[in-house]
Amino acid sequence: MSEIFMLIEHRQDAIRDISYEMMTCGRALAEKLNTKLTAVFLGYDADKLVESIRDQAHRIMVVNNEVFKEFNAESYQIALAEIIKKENPLLTLIGHTAFGMDLCPALGTQLGIPFTTDCLDVEIIDGKLIATRQMYDGKLNAKIRFRKNPSYLVSLRTGCFPVRDSNIESEIVNIESPISAEPDYRKFVEYIEAAISDVDITKADVVVGVGRGIKKKENLALIEDFASTIGGVVACSRPIVDAEWLPKDRQVGSSGKTVKPKLYIALGISGAFQHVVGMKNSGTIIAINKDQNAPIFNEADYGIVDDLFRVLPTFKNSIIEMKSK
Amino acid sequence: MNFDLTNDQKMLQREVRSFAETELAPVAPQIDVSGEFPWDNIKKMAKLGLLGIIVPEKYGGSEFDFVSLAVAIEEISRICASTGVIVAVNNSLVSYPILQFGTEEQKEKYLPPLCSADKLGAMGITEPNAGSDVAAMESTAKLEANHYILNGTKRFITNGGEAGIFVVFAYTDKDLKYKGISAFIIERDTPGFTLGKHEELMGIRATANCELIFEDAKIPKENLLGKEGDGFKICMNTLDVSRIDIGAQAVGISQGALEEAIKYSKERKAFGQLISNFEMIQGMLAEMATQIHAARLLVYYAGYCKDKGIPPRFSKEAAMAKYFAANMAVDVTRKAVQIYGGYGYTKDYAVERLYRDAKILELYEGTSEIHKIVIARELLR
Amino acid sequence: MDIIVCIKRVPQTAEAKVEIESSGKDIVKDRLTFDMNESDMYALEEAVLLKEKFGGTIIAISLSCSDAEDTLRIALAKGADTAIRIKAEDFDELDGYKTAQLLSAVIKDIHFDVIFTGCIATDDAYSQIGATLAELLGIPHATLLTNIEVIDSISHVHRELEGGLQEHIEISIPALFTIQTGINVPRYASLIAIRRAAGKEIKLVGQNEISKDQLLLNTQIEELFIPPVAKQVKIITGSPGEVSKELAGIIREKGLI
Repeated sequence: MSEIFMLIEHRQDAIRDISYEMMTCGRALAEKLNTKLTAVFLGYDADKLVESIRDQAHRIMVVNNEVFKEFNAESYQIALAEIIKKENPLLTLIGHTAFGMDLCPALGTQLGIPFTTDCLDVEIIDGKLIATRQMYDGKLNAKIRFRKNPSYLVSLRTGCFPVRDSNIESEIVNIESPISAEPDYRKFVEYIEAAISDVDITKADVVVGVGRGIKKKENLALIEDFASTIGGVVACSRPIVDAEWLPKDRQVGSSGKTVKPKLYIALGISGAFQHVVGMKNSGTIIAINKDQNAPIFNEADYGIVDDLFRVLPTFKNSIIEMKSK
Repeated sequence: MNFDLTNDQKMLQREVRSFAETELAPVAPQIDVSGEFPWDNIKKMAKLGLLGIIVPEKYGGSEFDFVSLAVAIEEISRICASTGVIVAVNNSLVSYPILQFGTEEQKEKYLPPLCSADKLGAMGITEPNAGSDVAAMESTAKLEANHYILNGTKRFITNGGEAGIFVVFAYTDKDLKYKGISAFIIERDTPGFTLGKHEELMGIRATANCELIFEDAKIPKENLLGKEGDGFKICMNTLDVSRIDIGAQAVGISQGALEEAIKYSKERKAFGQLISNFEMIQGMLAEMATQIHAARLLVYYAGYCKDKGIPPRFSKEAAMAKYFAANMAVDVTRKAVQIYGGYGYTKDYAVERLYRDAKILELYEGTSEIHKIVIARELLR
Repeated sequence: MDIIVCIKRVPQTAEAKVEIESSGKDIVKDRLTFDMNESDMYALEEAVLLKEKFGGTIIAISLSCSDAEDTLRIALAKGADTAIRIKAEDFDELDGYKTAQLLSAVIKDIHFDVIFTGCIATDDAYSQIGATLAELLGIPHATLLTNIEVIDSISHVHRELEGGLQEHIEISIPALFTIQTGINVPRYASLIAIRRAAGKEIKLVGQNEISKDQLLLNTQIEELFIPPVAKQVKIITGSPGEVSKELAGIIREKGLI
């Protein structure tokens, strides 16, 4: 049967947003193809989590075993491969997350089915699967077609499918786990939480985000000064953390934090997807960047194409003036 | 005939470019204002082997040729002219004459610290009353027992304020005219040697330009470079070589200015369109690119002549490269400022700094006028 | 510790204008500069750090056209002992899967303890070569490494998850790891190392050594296009003073601070 399957992603006893996004995508595809969506849940002590998604898919396949309590690509791969081989779905969706990046390519390879990663969209046109991906630092999109096969595997980018309500009565199917222990070649040990910080960028109303464009660490003083004038906190994109100019807890983006301030000011940030995903839901976004082609201008409400260090001093003065009125 | 860089030169170019864009670019505008000597970056560059590019490995150097030296200096100068000058001086004005004319003991003693930047090099030729006219120098050195007693003042000495090893020229016999000039290797802690006035320069402002004062300075006899009376020859020979990297500085600074100008012309709008649409701007950009290309070929060719030993006297080629490239750099950076319009005259944009940095190229290590004389002398022989 | 590092030479598009070529399936490359993929630089550095600690050899492999030999030589200058170029020109159209198959065809005959790759290539951005290659070779893998605590028959490594969280896992080697940026500080090659690397031979592997029969393409690019704009940005122009006033006005009007 040519069903749509998707893998539920959960962590630390919570279903992750990407799961709802994938189910939204999966339901739409299933509807178009007049077929059903099956959510595959691998986990432990599953009842509560399964309960929270039981209106989201036509069928929920539950493999309840302690081995799946935490994510381990190698054990998930063993179980999923078995399910897919048996059920032979037309399409299986996995999140393009730290979890899915570890799992999807190896699973597709093991099964010998065509797969691709990090898709913004998937469509089935005339029975052919077409995926949309982003390339070249987000500057181009690509339509991808697949080698013809009865079954496909695709990983989906987070934040691409606005979650829709659903009220399907899910059929719950319990399946015996094919394994009862993690393989001895890979074991989960523990989570390492980010260090607790003095500044919580997720709680601020105004966030001043800085990227590579600030050129050097010493310039942070200027940025801090500007941020305090405007009553905001300083956050940053990944390269700034890589260079150890700011601590990890200031990073906005897929591997950092998600912020939704009233005002986000992006200074010298090019707007790589990995950053944008963490700030695109901010109320108002102002971007200052020298490169007029920078993808950040696709996300911003207001843009200034200029050297940020030329604009910052006058911007600060204008804010002071505005506040004094 | 082959105009391609070799594999090692291409890799050197890539690494130096990446280093310059990452490490030098943030500091360049700052040290232009403060005049602070970029010791951090100099130490990092020494670790990569950039302070002894042309020095053999056995003395702690990288053992590259002069074309490679030009490529490296060009890449450094494209981002930071001051740093380009500092590195060039250490390589061709100090390490080179020691390598070429020094005794084995001198090479073993002085080249390793120059390559590692434990001690930086500076060269003292110019005096308050002796610039292009080298033979007019007034410094003297008199042999007394095991020491030369040196008296005199050297002015406008790049790296002077920060260097540890100096190659200094003085008369050991005034009667012999220029044949009475001798060269000495002098250490910073030599008794009787002090630093004088620190110059505030128009450009290349972070080069520790300083006056050297010698008052009965006691130089050990074994620190004579070459023989007594070899000074003028050493000086001319060294200046020939250093003209390659002055040319390379010019090409680098100009390349930086051209890239800035191209970028700006594609961002700046006037009369409702990008200024890059205007033919007069296009004309300037085309001229700049062509001028830079011509100068680069002259510089590389001079380096090539030095490397291959052809022709035996490459003075003319080096002089042509330096003369042309220096004039070119002043013109190209001027055009870059012109393309920026009023903004180019402000400290907000790099072209203002590059224009000031370029001017020195027409002045030091032989003015353009001196170079024309050198070239003409070769033509009229 | 014998280490293989997979390296890709990619166009530097972060600050460049990217244009679509007339076929609609590729980009115009002649005006772009190319260099080693960013996370591959960290992968290479991680290998060099391990080699400095434990000894052994590093082999750098790239599936690429001859231009990439420059990139492989840079890898040699930064610490790789040997370099292999799989001749891309021999194998027609490539995707992530076919790339992994070609890499595996070469690597399966080489002894190694660890394979490093970058976690993502900035051009096609698949993040799939590492895990695919590991599966083809039948070894365990872990992606997005931010720390290698212990490297031994049982290794301890940290993976980057979302939201600042990391996980600590135990994994046996031989294994494949994809390396995240920021795990180390990649070095510059010294001039002496460059000079030594320049003369080294790069081993070529092509269709004579690898049979094309079994190679499979999973996907093909149908067309490239410019992404639709999610939001219409208002670009404010003028002198710094003018744009600043206008921004301050917007901020006040909307009550943002």
